[in-house]
Amino acid sequence: MIFNVSVIKSLLRLKGLLLSGFFTLLLFINLSYGQTAEAEANFAVCKACHTIGGGKLVGPDLQGVTERRDEAWLIKFIQNSQELINAGDPEAVKIFEEYNKIPMPPNNLTDDQVRDILLYIENGGVVAGAEVGETEQEVAEEVAVEDADTELLVEMKREDARHLQATFIAMVVLILLALFDLLVTKIIKQKWIPIVILIIAVIISGEVIFIEATNLGRQQYYQPEQPVWFSHKVHAGQNQIDCKYCHFTADKSMHSGIPPVAVCMNCHNQVKKGKITGETEIAKVIDAYNNGEPIEWVKVHNLPDHVYFNHSQHVNVGKMDCTECHGDVEKMDEIIQVNDLSMGWCIDCHRTKEVNFANKFYDQYKQLHEEIANGEKSKVLVTDVGGEDCQRCHY
Amino acid sequence: MKFIRLISLLLIPLMFLACNRSKNNPGYDYMGKHDMYYTKFYKAFTPNPVFRDSITNQLPVEGAVARGKMPFPYPGASIAERAANQAKAGLEVNNPLEVNTEVLTNGKAHYDIFCINCHGKNGKGDGNLYTSGLFPAKPTSLVEPYVQSKPDGEIFYVITHGSISGLMGPHGAQIQPEDRWSIVSYIRDLAN
Repeated sequence: MIFNVSVIKSLLRLKGLLLSGFFTLLLFINLSYGQTAEAEANFAVCKACHTIGGGKLVGPDLQGVTERRDEAWLIKFIQNSQELINAGDPEAVKIFEEYNKIPMPPNNLTDDQVRDILLYIENGGVVAGAEVGETEQEVAEEVAVEDADTELLVEMKREDARHLQATFIAMVVLILLALFDLLVTKIIKQKWIPIVILIIAVIISGEVIFIEATNLGRQQYYQPEQPVWFSHKVHAGQNQIDCKYCHFTADKSMHSGIPPVAVCMNCHNQVKKGKITGETEIAKVIDAYNNGEPIEWVKVHNLPDHVYFNHSQHVNVGKMDCTECHGDVEKMDEIIQVNDLSMGWCIDCHRTKEVNFANKFYDQYKQLHEEIANGEKSKVLVTDVGGEDCQRCHY
Repeated sequence: MKFIRLISLLLIPLMFLACNRSKNNPGYDYMGKHDMYYTKFYKAFTPNPVFRDSITNQLPVEGAVARGKMPFPYPGASIAERAANQAKAGLEVNNPLEVNTEVLTNGKAHYDIFCINCHGKNGKGDGNLYTSGLFPAKPTSLVEPYVQSKPDGEIFYVITHGSISGLMGPHGAQIQPEDRWSIVSYIRDLAN
């Protein structure tokens, strides 16, 4: 009997130990996961002005703040600092004056939420169990696969130009061989064979000369390397930033404009690591900003100087989308000139594009208004308002 | 001998193939680089040996006021300047625009270009750049009393010079003043 009782007692004790251990474990998991994740989200607001161990920003560095100050005071100050300052709390007034009298906005947080944030600060701003590195790598791999597809397409187009060159050279060789055989060696007894070869080769090489000559001065598929490896696919495509956020003069000026480095810094004062290139390329931009040196980007879309082209006329008045001329920029890592920007290409569009005739500027086109009123015309094209006049673009 | 001649003729094309059109080469011009195709004048974004800082796009003289533009004499280059001037601008400057549909459509158009990335479609601070985890700090919600209780001039000041913390950058160079005012009107409209 005695033996039995002691066994049961010890078993009970063990069970209690196990249970309590289980509950403390559960509590610990709750503390380290649930609460810090919420605290991290809340701390995103604080990050605007504070760092944890990164030095002063707008407000003080928060490393070790829980040791410096009383918890009750901290909770009050974080919830509404101005209340404390107006009440004349000496510590609060001192810190307010030390940091240029910039008020810390009130935060709508409960006492417990503030305690969580303080815990998060004590941990050095790290969330337990978060594996950021892996997901970043996955994103980079995805991007790389997409890159390969578009690059292949572009390479094929450039390959076409090479084929033309090779064809031309082959034709020249054929002409020379045929002539050589016809006049000197005379290996082929039937004279008509080299003559036919000669005629065909001349026609084909002539065709190549014609194509190449029309392409003189056009820079289709020009894709120069830029001083900074900047990806439009990341910025305009994945991040969905509007073209005009950076090229903000496109609807106001002749030039669509290269954004100043200060525009880059609107985001890159915080974002210092890129998806694909890591820190190296963004560091170039930040250096340029700090040293005040412009980045010398290479212009891709060039028009000859005897052509006048105005961006605002097309973007603002014509309400054209950037992609109509520049192609799917949001899918390009490096910008490539998709259209040939030839005069024929311009005129083709002028002949088919409808004009917004409600624009007050077109009130002076009395005859066109009459024709529309009579029903002779249903729509007004660019060419009707002088889109094909020589001096519209060449003067 | 004949055979060697034929072979040497066949080698010529291989020499030509060496000069392929690379992606860095813009191609050839009909009239050369210094004729009517590309004249010698300095264009807006080309370097310029005439000026000391070798920039063609020079800034206007300090203190110059463009025609039809109101000066906004509240500098905000540093944190201290912004802290001092933000509230001041709010007290002294009023929105010159009357609120009507035209102003609001213009405000929305510009909001959707310049603000939407961080502050989100409805101004709640849930823009794509923050929700996707790219931008680390949470953008301020524009529809809550913290922003809505501020006078128009203060919101205009923040758009122009950025927030006091510097986390929101200055957008004064990117957005024309009248467009900034219409954005302010649009933000007021968002909260209602």
